[in-house]
Amino acid sequence: MKNGTRSAPRTLLVLLGVVALVLAACGGGTASTAPTAEPTEAAATPTPIAVTPEPIETAEGGLTADGKVLIRWFVGLGTGAQPDQIADEQAVVAEFNASQDEIVLSLEIYQNTTAYDILSTQIAAGNPPDIIGPVGFRGFYSYGDQLLDLEPYIASSGFDTSDLDPALLEAYAEGFGGQVGIPFAIYPSFIYYNKDLFDEAGLPYPPEKVGDQYDGQEWNWDTLTELAKKLTVDKAGNDATSAAFDGSNTDQWGYYMQWTDPRGWGTQRGAGHVVGADGNAVIPENWVEAWQWYYDGMFKDQFIPDGTENRSDLLGPDNAFQSGRVAMDFVHLWYTCCVWPADGEPNTPNFGIAVPPSDGGTTTAKLHADTFGIMEKTAHPEEAFEVLTYLLNNDTLIARYGALPAVKSKQGAFFDALDARFAPNEINWQVALDMLGYPDVPSHEADMPNFLKSDAAIKAFQEKLITTAGLDIAAEAEILRGTLQGLFDEVN
Amino acid sequence: MAAVAARAAPASPLRRSLRKFTGRAAMTMVAIAVMSGFLMPLAYMGLTALKDQQQITDSSAPVYPVTAQSFEYEGKVYPLLTVTIDGTTRDLAIVRKGREDSDFIDPANPQAGVIFWQGRWRTLAPVYVFDPKIANFGQVWDEIEFPRLLGNTVFIAVTSTIGAVGSAIAVAYGFSRFRFRFKGPLFLVLLATIMLSAQATLVPSYIIFSRIGWAGTWLPLIVPHFFANAYNVFLLRQYFMTIPRDLDEAAMIDGASPFRILRSVIVPQAIPAITAVALFHFFYSWNEFLLALVYVGGNPELWPLTLGVQQFAALYVTRVPLVQASAIMTIAVPVVIFFLAQRAFMRGVVITGVEK
Amino acid sequence: MTSTPREAALPGSVVGQGRVGGGIARREALWGYAFISPWIIGFVLFMFLPMAAALIFSFTDFDLRKPDEINFIGLRNYERLLSDSAIAHSMAITVRFIAITVPLNLGFALGLAMLLNSQRVAGKNVLRTLFYMPIQIPLVAATLIWVGVLNGSTGWVNRILGIFGLQGPDWIADSSWVLVALALIGIWGVGNMMLIFIAGLQGVPTELYDAAKVDGAGAWRTFRSVTVPLITPIIFYNVLISFVTSFQVFIQPWVLKNGIPDDSTNLFNVNLYREAFVFNQMGYASALGWVLFGVILGVTMLLFWSARRWVYYAAER
Repeated sequence: MKNGTRSAPRTLLVLLGVVALVLAACGGGTASTAPTAEPTEAAATPTPIAVTPEPIETAEGGLTADGKVLIRWFVGLGTGAQPDQIADEQAVVAEFNASQDEIVLSLEIYQNTTAYDILSTQIAAGNPPDIIGPVGFRGFYSYGDQLLDLEPYIASSGFDTSDLDPALLEAYAEGFGGQVGIPFAIYPSFIYYNKDLFDEAGLPYPPEKVGDQYDGQEWNWDTLTELAKKLTVDKAGNDATSAAFDGSNTDQWGYYMQWTDPRGWGTQRGAGHVVGADGNAVIPENWVEAWQWYYDGMFKDQFIPDGTENRSDLLGPDNAFQSGRVAMDFVHLWYTCCVWPADGEPNTPNFGIAVPPSDGGTTTAKLHADTFGIMEKTAHPEEAFEVLTYLLNNDTLIARYGALPAVKSKQGAFFDALDARFAPNEINWQVALDMLGYPDVPSHEADMPNFLKSDAAIKAFQEKLITTAGLDIAAEAEILRGTLQGLFDEVN
Repeated sequence: MAAVAARAAPASPLRRSLRKFTGRAAMTMVAIAVMSGFLMPLAYMGLTALKDQQQITDSSAPVYPVTAQSFEYEGKVYPLLTVTIDGTTRDLAIVRKGREDSDFIDPANPQAGVIFWQGRWRTLAPVYVFDPKIANFGQVWDEIEFPRLLGNTVFIAVTSTIGAVGSAIAVAYGFSRFRFRFKGPLFLVLLATIMLSAQATLVPSYIIFSRIGWAGTWLPLIVPHFFANAYNVFLLRQYFMTIPRDLDEAAMIDGASPFRILRSVIVPQAIPAITAVALFHFFYSWNEFLLALVYVGGNPELWPLTLGVQQFAALYVTRVPLVQASAIMTIAVPVVIFFLAQRAFMRGVVITGVEK
Repeated sequence: MTSTPREAALPGSVVGQGRVGGGIARREALWGYAFISPWIIGFVLFMFLPMAAALIFSFTDFDLRKPDEINFIGLRNYERLLSDSAIAHSMAITVRFIAITVPLNLGFALGLAMLLNSQRVAGKNVLRTLFYMPIQIPLVAATLIWVGVLNGSTGWVNRILGIFGLQGPDWIADSSWVLVALALIGIWGVGNMMLIFIAGLQGVPTELYDAAKVDGAGAWRTFRSVTVPLITPIIFYNVLISFVTSFQVFIQPWVLKNGIPDDSTNLFNVNLYREAFVFNQMGYASALGWVLFGVILGVTMLLFWSARRWVYYAAER
């Protein structure tokens, strides 16, 4: 080879080294791996940075470039990521930022399917947001020990909690080692029913008051079963009470319990908890009964869509009541989000709400609640609390989340907004308010030892039930109890 | 088979070309048959994208996009069903649905009033007209701010592809044509980088990138690709190793530098493989989701298309047609690029003309 | 310097070959390092630290939500996975999945490539584009399409089977069919493998085909003794990569089962993801990652070892 090419390899090496340096440098000088002249040497000194990460934001002190306090609001653990909600959230943030000049509020919105993973990753990297929410109890149990005790800030700011339900306030303190949340939004549950399907069958609507009869009979689960069967019809027009009914060609179903898990199913026969007084796993008797009923509803009498049916195009997929093919759906107030599509002609334009049946004279309507929390790691708890109270008091947000305000004086205006949305449909919202008097205590969302794994075990149990015919529910419940006991033992 | 045909010498030119034609037709038929099974889900996607949500949940609707016909009577809209009454079959609007009997109105003669019919309306066929909902695409375009997301995606995909292809060519050349100490172990280390699940390195990577201030920017999505990845290098190295050395040895004797050999001997011979790598990386980058979510997911301004589409899919989980329309819009550009780029794979035909 | 063409390229074939004529060998080595240096730099900057960190994590009880409370627990994660029945099970179904999917994909991709490289198929441009399309659909969206198509009650697959009077299974819900469903989805994504094979076929010097023709070789013989040997490096690449990616399959089973994998879909990497991001057990998940790494590395070494016998490199020396 000629002389000219002699030094080429070395030149190339040096050149690439320089490129690497420049690239690393433009990423900000803090690169702990910033290569020195000899790139390979960086490999020899793997600093333990990854093992004990320090919060990176503190390097900038959680401040923006012009010295304001930066507060990051993380949305997606519950509701809050629908397009119309995003627009309102952005408006609220802009409004807040314009209202004062000490804090800059920034908004991060993730879809529910990924939000938990992202938040965990951010926490792991020492880069958590300041405020999370709206988020339900499940989210609170997932991140409970990462949340700031708000008590000192409530006290020092004189935040008024007198208009709030004390039991709900307590629910955000018990088991968390502090008052980690302030009640914001509550979602009672009740039965949404499709009036057109009742009309077609020539059947009267279900009762709107607890204690009222249905068509001369006590409004209990047996009555609902019979009613639901009449409202379940195959493609030939036979209903589920008829011997000719073909359950593999169902056109319309009588009943469904949308977007919940077996703990939710259980509440149809009253409250319960999978953790016994002694801390061991138990499956409440009334829940096994409820599961057996629900399971038979799917696979024996077939008036409840099973997993495959629910995920078929026919039912949405996975938005059964909205498809117009389900007569009664026991679900929460938050379902007002999705009972109509965001636009286009609704399949279920004509719906009403009714009370759930009683079980031996006792009515139970499971309750959900959402609020915001502050991460313990925040560099600016005072400012974060200021933002938190701003969000809690924001009427635009609560209306948009379809949530009943926890503050009683705001509830009337909330229902007016819903009426405007569903007009000319007239809906008796008193049913929703009444249901607040029949909450499931303890909550079906109550904490469990080894929460995430126990929760996953219950979902796996659900998945098996909704996709498998011919199960022995009592035996399956016992297997679940054993699994849960094993998971509880892992942490005790 | 062509060879056999060619040797069966005295066949007339006509018969030969006929034989060739039937051979071609048969093979093409096979390709089409396999393809229709293969592409059935794509057809499902394409047809679904042109429907509306009503049709999705309508079990009696045909597979192609339609609108169920309806008739407005006294301010309300009622669906049309084909019903036979007294031997005459008409399309009537059903104004009252009942289990065993229903009431109809004749749209041609609404003044005649309600027609009572005994029977089950579920057994009647609704009246449909073919009606593709092209507007679905426009709706997606507006709702996910398609042009901005497209711009972001193009930028990320183009820059990272340039880096990935350039670096992979150099590294693969190094591994395939030079002898140096630790080459084998180094190559194994290269391959080892893809053996550890991305899920296991995601968090440490995020920690590092957020520490150097790259979280919330596109840099983690682009810069690492300038340093060659194992899939690309391995593929190119395998391909380079199928290129006989005679040519580069000749060039070397002529005093060409390794750069020159790479540029004028290796690269021209490896165009199909390099094109493949470029396409793979471009499409990978185009569809990359997890890293984009982790690094720029919080800032919609920086979203690539995948994040917009995922947002859309999660939101409108109940609006299947729009989700499919958004997926089609995502792949439109890649499909066109692929169609144009695959010329590179016609090389054999052009150069040697095996069959003229 | 050896000149047997069947010498494998890796590993170790190069080490020990050195010492050929001083300066020239040194220069060659220097050029080699220069060309691979982009990767070395990138490895050090972007790969080494995360991998090392994952290794360190695997000896800790790192809970994602508690980065301040990391404790070294020695080998306990590895001990735990030995006694964790879910791990053995997930590895077993992963192996079963690979046994179905790898040969199926390779055969299908090679067949397609031959078909779409054949002179006797008209409209190759369009056909290739169509066959490549599925892999261009973002994976989550593509899997959702299959969720619709394979639905037991309204999916097209069962409706088409119904036309022929066949009662299709409930592909996704039925645990004995779900791996088949995953394999179908896998076949749908063979576009890349197909293209790599086409690129490989394009690299076969056409003179060799002409020579085979002159020798009177039939199609099958030509394929077996000309085509296959010459594309063995490409076949080898596809085999190795499909092993690696099949071991790590995650998104398809995850989406198919709605994020709630059961015994039939809890493949190794699905389980890893669940431990890491649903249960936040990053320490344990890292240990799983390194175990999977070890398994894949073992398979890779085995393949490289076998490659000495069947992979032919024209450029070997």
